Amino acid sequence: MISSETPLNDVGTMGAAPLLLSADAVSKTFNKVAALIDGRIRLRAGTVNALCGGNGAGKSTFLNILMGLYRRDAGVIEIKGSEVEFASPAEALAGGVAIITQELSPFLDMTVAENLYLGREQRRSRLFVDDRKMITDAEELLARLKFPLPPTARLRDLSVAQAQLVEIAKAISRQSEILIMDEPTSAIGERETQILFDAIRNLTAQGVGIIYVSHRLTEIFEIADDYTVFRDGRHVDSGSIKDIDRLGLIRSIVGRDLLEHRRRPKADGKAEPVIEVKGFSRRGKFEGIDLTLHKGEILGLYGLLGSGRSEFVNSLYGTEPRDSGEIRLDGRPAQLKTPADSIRAGIALVTEDRKQTGLSLTASVAHNVTVANLPHYTRVGFLDERAERRSVADQVKRFSIKVASFDQAVQKLSGGNQQKVVLARCLDPKPRILICDEPTRGVDEGAKREIYAFLSAFVAEGNSVLMISSEVPEILGNSDRIIVFRRGRIAGEVIGGEATQEMLVHLAS
Amino acid sequence: MKAAESGRREWGLAELVSRYGIVISFLVLFLILSFLSNNFLTSNNLVNVLRQVSINGVLAVGMTFVILTAGIDLSIGSILALAGAVAASLVTGGDAQPAVFAVIAGVLVGTACGVINGGLIAYFSVPPFVATLGLLSVARGATLLYSGGRPIPNLSPEFRWLGQGAVLGIPVPVIIFAIVFAIAYVTLRYSVYGRRVYAVGGNPRSAKTSGINTRGIVFSVYALMGGLAGLAGVMLTARTTSALPQAGIGYELDAIAAVVIGGTSLTGGIGRITYTLVGVLIIGMISNGLDLMGVSSYYQQIIKGSIIVLAVLIDRSKDRGEL
Amino acid sequence: MRVNRRLMLQAAGVAVALPMLIATAASAAPLRIAAIVQSLNTEYNVLWADAAKEHPALADGTATLTILDGRQDVLTQSNLFDTAITEKYDAIIFIPVDIDAGNEPLERARKAGIPVFGSNTVVSKTELYDAYINSNDVEAGEMLAKAVIDKAGDDAKIVILEGMIGQSAQVQRFQGIQNVLAGKPNVTVLGQNTANWSRAEAITLMENFLTANGDQIKGVLAENDEMAVGAIEGIRNYGLAPGSVPVAGVDGIKDALEAVKRGDQLMSILQDAKGQSQGAIDLALNKLIDGYKPRAAVWDANGGSLAWNEGKEQHYYVPWLAVTSANVDHVLSAH
Repeated sequence: MISSETPLNDVGTMGAAPLLLSADAVSKTFNKVAALIDGRIRLRAGTVNALCGGNGAGKSTFLNILMGLYRRDAGVIEIKGSEVEFASPAEALAGGVAIITQELSPFLDMTVAENLYLGREQRRSRLFVDDRKMITDAEELLARLKFPLPPTARLRDLSVAQAQLVEIAKAISRQSEILIMDEPTSAIGERETQILFDAIRNLTAQGVGIIYVSHRLTEIFEIADDYTVFRDGRHVDSGSIKDIDRLGLIRSIVGRDLLEHRRRPKADGKAEPVIEVKGFSRRGKFEGIDLTLHKGEILGLYGLLGSGRSEFVNSLYGTEPRDSGEIRLDGRPAQLKTPADSIRAGIALVTEDRKQTGLSLTASVAHNVTVANLPHYTRVGFLDERAERRSVADQVKRFSIKVASFDQAVQKLSGGNQQKVVLARCLDPKPRILICDEPTRGVDEGAKREIYAFLSAFVAEGNSVLMISSEVPEILGNSDRIIVFRRGRIAGEVIGGEATQEMLVHLAS
Repeated sequence: MKAAESGRREWGLAELVSRYGIVISFLVLFLILSFLSNNFLTSNNLVNVLRQVSINGVLAVGMTFVILTAGIDLSIGSILALAGAVAASLVTGGDAQPAVFAVIAGVLVGTACGVINGGLIAYFSVPPFVATLGLLSVARGATLLYSGGRPIPNLSPEFRWLGQGAVLGIPVPVIIFAIVFAIAYVTLRYSVYGRRVYAVGGNPRSAKTSGINTRGIVFSVYALMGGLAGLAGVMLTARTTSALPQAGIGYELDAIAAVVIGGTSLTGGIGRITYTLVGVLIIGMISNGLDLMGVSSYYQQIIKGSIIVLAVLIDRSKDRGEL
Repeated sequence: MRVNRRLMLQAAGVAVALPMLIATAASAAPLRIAAIVQSLNTEYNVLWADAAKEHPALADGTATLTILDGRQDVLTQSNLFDTAITEKYDAIIFIPVDIDAGNEPLERARKAGIPVFGSNTVVSKTELYDAYINSNDVEAGEMLAKAVIDKAGDDAKIVILEGMIGQSAQVQRFQGIQNVLAGKPNVTVLGQNTANWSRAEAITLMENFLTANGDQIKGVLAENDEMAVGAIEGIRNYGLAPGSVPVAGVDGIKDALEAVKRGDQLMSILQDAKGQSQGAIDLALNKLIDGYKPRAAVWDANGGSLAWNEGKEQHYYVPWLAVTSANVDHVLSAH
């Protein structure tokens, strides 16, 4: 590990392979607010460089400059030794830099081959698309990359990870030597992550350099060769991944010491049951789910994407239907058919995807926080705005949400702060049961810690939490008990304090 | 510290333009018209403008609710004609009923049409564009059937007062519009219902998770829109002194234009009804001002379209960075 | 009285001729006539269609009439022509929406061997008609302008409310207005704009004209009655007494006739819908049936003022009727 004063060229094992990309002292200011002060990176051919940093560290600005979306104010960017300044993503593509973003935009009803060659189709007699040639080209390309994809499959029929492979293949077919992957695993499960990692290893073996952005430290340690850390708009640290450990990287990202999070599981499982679920089934999604959530407990739900865990909690809460199943609250049978029923019963749901289902992005912080609890703030049918704002102020303070004002649109907040707004909304009606589906997705390490701390405090007050997470360390570190889903059924249950990563993965797959 | 302060001041100006761009456009247009036409800035003419915009105003209020939920209602012109015809049939000729019955009947007919729209859209998931396009045709046909394709004239003086009368010098249609606007303003700004309309438009799935009956909200805005279109039909009929079967053709476009000029997002969730009012006034002012200046209708159409796009351009300039 | 007796005689003649007609008609199915009208949204077209349906030849089974609604759209009308051609109607009566756009479908019908007869508004290539019957819109414009200027004076300041620009009625009525104005150099036109035949638009336009020019306006020429009635509302809204500014319009719709009766409107020029529609049916039947005798009341043969002339003419003008306070009661009672 080195400090930012050290010249980057001498870093650890770097220099062994030829430099593909180097950037120094790159800066960018918006409306006199510095978004990036000193961006630096060294990317060697055939390696994966993990770009780390909290939300607001300047990563996105830096990547956008690399991609030609923004122009830098100052600094040097060189590709294979010659300085470049891209004015548009098209120029960046032509210069050999391609990005695989979080939100893919493939054409779902076109085939893999058509997606690969969209806009530069193989032609016959200038006018007609030469389908046969396109398919053989695609076959060749996919075979070379060792991507297990049929060129004639429609994108609609592929998984998210497979669609990402198509994007990657597309970038490679354009002779891109530098690939930027921005949170590529945020939407895919464990098994698919392995498909993606296999693909990445194939690419690096062929000399491609990859800048890999992820909040998931486990992945970084699995796939990356080098790391680069940004904090508050500056490059603060970089080096070889084998010279740093998990805690060291967290310290570098957060800027202070943080212990690896591990909540002490409750000693006794004897607390009274708060919610009991029996025989929950929904055809094709999950079947025969029985589980009990106790007072003061965090119950973890683990499972691969598509194992039915998210569908189950959505049915429980009432946002999606169920075919059969009973619910008992505090030992008494309860009818929870709609979200409104659940909210009345003291249940709140933090949904999996805050942008799709969690927030009204264009609405203000205040309106998002109180939307689930509006009748609470009314006097004769009209809103008592003063009472509402008092409550918003409490919630913003409780979760230390960083906002310019309560009237700020939520879309202007960072991912971590957005997620805290979702939590604040769910907590506003003062629930005693909180269902969290991936509560820390796309949230930086610092904010994650705050959310974990909140969950601990919440159950310590005698409430209960049902938490879904695909991040094994997260679920291990927070749950009192863990229930593992596999193909729509419960595959097993483990005690939080005794569980290991291997046990969970074994049960889940 | 100094830099931060000056930065803040500049940001303040940008904020001012982005926040009040449409109001600024309105004021500039107002000044230009006052300057170019001697008669524009007279109390008589301003009252005229208000009377001329009151019907589109009532429609635009309803359309604001609809567009806030990311919907659209193309059928209002036809609903207006049907409601006008039904209302007129109650107050025509010798056995005229009290005008209040006609008003109630008109609003009820409109609401019934809105209920059909809302039901199809909220509970049968028919896209708003399609559902209301259907009713656009159905309601127009029903109007022709009901009236036999002829105007319904000879309306009672009591009923005509709704379109032609005045209280303390303020025309009755303007008073009706003012009341409708005030209620809508309070509803959107201060009521739980209003907040839920925004929530459903901003993100229906999030709203559903938050325990909001999203279908109910969507249903209700179309019913409300229908009722207001019915009221507008009563107002128009009283103003033209006959129910005309071809009344209201194309009115949906002016109402949508007013809402969009007012900055309400067609994708839902963002918008203010006060700005819809500004949009309504801008549209009314343009026609009035150009008529006063004797501008030929060929140019009027060009100027009107350009000003609408220009006003929205100024309003949207703030967002350009994000595209 | 004399008229009545003649009508009775006529009726008796029909009664005698009836079995003969049925005999000829029975040899084949009834003749099928399609009437493609502008729009059943407009009062005049509805009057026209209602009158057409009362033609005696329909009652006795000589012919059937199908009204096809053009919905104020040239494309719809063009499509209706295709329908009429495919359905092999024996004759088409056509009220075009647009003076020029009507030519092409008309040619198509002729190519298919179906005779086409004009009524009310006409296409620009009138030679395509087998025959047509209408009122002269230029003449209506002239009557309109003359009446208002006679009342307001040769140095009057006036405004003109125009119909939908480009439609034949607007073009020709405006032509008539210009013909008169050419001879009255001292008349000033303070404002001239379209209100698209619409009453609601005319109210607004008139209010704005008055705001701009105040009570200088001494006369209003409206190219139809809807707009005339709207202008009267505008005058009332502005605070002037209706009737203090002479307003004249064309068509003779009910509201306008009532306004004339109240003294709010100076004159309405009545278009004879019955004469035009039934006359057109007679022209069509005359072409289809040898030795046909016209049945509509408009013809001189049946006591009307229009010369039938054995149906040999290609073009017949149905005269306008100027309705003023002098004859309004009589017209209203017949309406």
